[in-house]
Amino acid sequence: MRQPLGSNSIVIKNNLINIKVSISDFRHGGIILIKFENVDKVYPNGFKGLKNVSLEIKQGEFVAIIGLSGAGKSTLLRTINKMHDISNGTLTVNGQDVTKLRGKELRTFRRKIGMIFQSFNLITRISVIKNVLTSRVPELPSWKCILGLFSKEDKIAALEALDKVGILDKAYIRADQLSGGQQQRVALARTLAQNPEIILADEPVAALDPVTAKEVMNDFRRINKEMNISIIINIHHVDLALDYADRVIGIKAGEIIYDGPASDVDKETLTKIYGRDLTSEEVAGN
Amino acid sequence: MKVEVKKQLEKEPKLWIVKLLSTLFVLSLIIWTSNSLEYHGIQESGVSIAKNILVGIVSPSTDLLINFKINGVPYLLLQTIAIAILGTIIGSIISVPFAFMCSANVVPKWISTLGTIIVAAIRTIPSFVYGLMFIRVTGPGAFAGVLTIGVVSIGMITKLYIEAIEDLDKNIIESLDVAGCTLVQKVRYGILPQLSTNFVSTAIYRFEINLKDATVLGLVGAGGIGAPLIFAMNSYRWKEVGAILIGLIILVIVVEYCSTRIRAKLARG
Amino acid sequence: MDTLKNLIIPKKIILNNGKEIQPPIPKLPFILVGLIVIVIASAELTDFSFEKIIKNGHQFTAILSAMIPPNWGYAKEVIKPLKETIQMSLLGSIVGSILAVPFAILASVNINHNKPLLLIIRFLLSLVRTLPTLIIALIATFIFDLGPFAGTIAIAIFTLGIVAKMIYEKIETVDMGPFEALEALGATKLKAFLSAIIPQILPSYLSNCLYCFEVNVRYAAILGYVGAGGIGLILNEKIGWREYDKVGMMLFMLFVTVVIIEYLSKYIRGKLR
Repeated sequence: MRQPLGSNSIVIKNNLINIKVSISDFRHGGIILIKFENVDKVYPNGFKGLKNVSLEIKQGEFVAIIGLSGAGKSTLLRTINKMHDISNGTLTVNGQDVTKLRGKELRTFRRKIGMIFQSFNLITRISVIKNVLTSRVPELPSWKCILGLFSKEDKIAALEALDKVGILDKAYIRADQLSGGQQQRVALARTLAQNPEIILADEPVAALDPVTAKEVMNDFRRINKEMNISIIINIHHVDLALDYADRVIGIKAGEIIYDGPASDVDKETLTKIYGRDLTSEEVAGN
Repeated sequence: MKVEVKKQLEKEPKLWIVKLLSTLFVLSLIIWTSNSLEYHGIQESGVSIAKNILVGIVSPSTDLLINFKINGVPYLLLQTIAIAILGTIIGSIISVPFAFMCSANVVPKWISTLGTIIVAAIRTIPSFVYGLMFIRVTGPGAFAGVLTIGVVSIGMITKLYIEAIEDLDKNIIESLDVAGCTLVQKVRYGILPQLSTNFVSTAIYRFEINLKDATVLGLVGAGGIGAPLIFAMNSYRWKEVGAILIGLIILVIVVEYCSTRIRAKLARG
Repeated sequence: MDTLKNLIIPKKIILNNGKEIQPPIPKLPFILVGLIVIVIASAELTDFSFEKIIKNGHQFTAILSAMIPPNWGYAKEVIKPLKETIQMSLLGSIVGSILAVPFAILASVNINHNKPLLLIIRFLLSLVRTLPTLIIALIATFIFDLGPFAGTIAIAIFTLGIVAKMIYEKIETVDMGPFEALEALGATKLKAFLSAIIPQILPSYLSNCLYCFEVNVRYAAILGYVGAGGIGLILNEKIGWREYDKVGMMLFMLFVTVVIIEYLSKYIRGKLR
């Protein structure tokens, strides 16, 4: 079993309680990874991004968050690695109180959480492998960063990550010469090279065509099953969400409207989450 | 390690050699160039001179600054502006034929190559050389400055004009052709509208630079604010130096502001 | 007053179907009139006279023809000052380009959040760009004594101003996505900057430095006039002595040098893209 972040006695205590209580969660090991308790997020202009959110995500789960644009999907995701701060409530990730994390602790914490962005966020001018190697930057002294001096072990790890997503042969090609799907895979490789426990993906397939989108989703599923990495995805392709995720969370106007297995999501649930009936095209994410 | 991974590792392009060589090259350049430069050390008077200049700027000679007579800073600034204006206009007009002569999409290749060489030669001759040459024609004073600025501007203005000409949209000319226009009409309605705003914008941009050059021409004796500046500096009259520098700075700031506004308006149309 | 109005505001146009259009007041006549006034005033201020050009124009061409053919034998003497000119502009450009980096970082709105510091740095950079290089060189000769060192300092300062502006304008339009990604995986702001932003800016930075060097070589030739070293000094001397054939030679060699440098620079800049 993977080593949890910043282990302390509270985590162990939680482990015991959870294993006793939820036998159905046995497959996930039962360790609660992420816990939101009555979390609010209020923006400076008064807008409420999140309202009284409470949920638990266990290790190894594949969770899809769906909802209208602006409903709070992105906000929810970004509070997990403290890219956004919360205003009220408690947020614990692997036993650590996220709001109290600062400086070096925060950076060590973030190292174990990978993030995938809609626009890939690669450095387009440089090669694929250099992009994946940037995952090593936090451990490298600054002067080596400028010169781009990575150790042989780093390079091997990067290549292996590229291999896991199936684009090993593109290692030395400039990133902007790849297709969208391939670029997102480079981003995925970059995240895998971190050896993360959790992967947060913010609309990872929104910029991709339907066929490529499915390929990338397959990668996510593979990573989740084979490497037991917890995956939390923001997605507005409802059918992809239902096909790939085990669990779906529906958000509307900052509140969680639905939280349950993907198999239980029906037309009625979707209407509640999106506020109206969805056409079949909309379900397909067009 | 898998076999494929190992193969890729070996394929890695050895960029570090290039990086190392270029760093060494730059370092050797630095060493070579600093060899010939004799650093005399800051002159003893050097530090006090720097201080005096700053003092002069902070407490300028108001006599010179507010004086509106012919020797005062405002009049000289005005004269400098006039030099720059006329010089830019002359330069802009003369550059037009030169630019067409250098554009590969308007004239045959051999003319454009010849033209480019001529313009390059014009550009290389330092401005004070022109200044001294024109002084023989017009005598020392602002007039020589005007002619000098005119010729010196040719370099940059021609270059920018050529870019505009080479960017010409041929389709518009084609459509005029099809509608049955004569050459003159095609130039007037097809080419000029595309180029005119660009030319004007170029001229204004060059005007800013010419203003700075014009201030300096006084050093050569070609009028403007440069001559009094160097006299004042040679006589260590720092308060006057301060006054002149302040006038200069204000002038350039104001002109830069106005010209940016005008060029933005031209671009937006 | 009414007649003035009638003159300026164009008449309304009435179409066949009864619709009325009011054309806007044409601005061109006003601009032309204003321009003519300015030109006449400027001509007055500068004692411009076409007569003089026609009468004495031949002096200019006389000097020009005295330069051709150039004094080939003089070439050897030109090499040393020419080398000095190149060295001055090279060192000045390199130093200026390197020093520009910290200034530019401090002047970027998206990196430096300290508002007062930002404004001060930007103001200093503007100041450096607005003062003519020759004047900076002049002041430098007073502080550092005559000679190429002062010229190098002047060029360095001038280059700093231009390159810094170019860098911070680029930084402000750079794609912050990779920077965000790097922060999200646990890098400090500094490391994120070094790894994500610098690679994006590097090619155009180098390209601009090279272009500055091109321009500086020509500038360096002028700086000699105030005694800041290089070919300008003897150029001035020889003109004074009316030894135009030697002047012609110097100009010719300067020309060849500049052409070579510009060609090389274009080539390298093309490769950087």
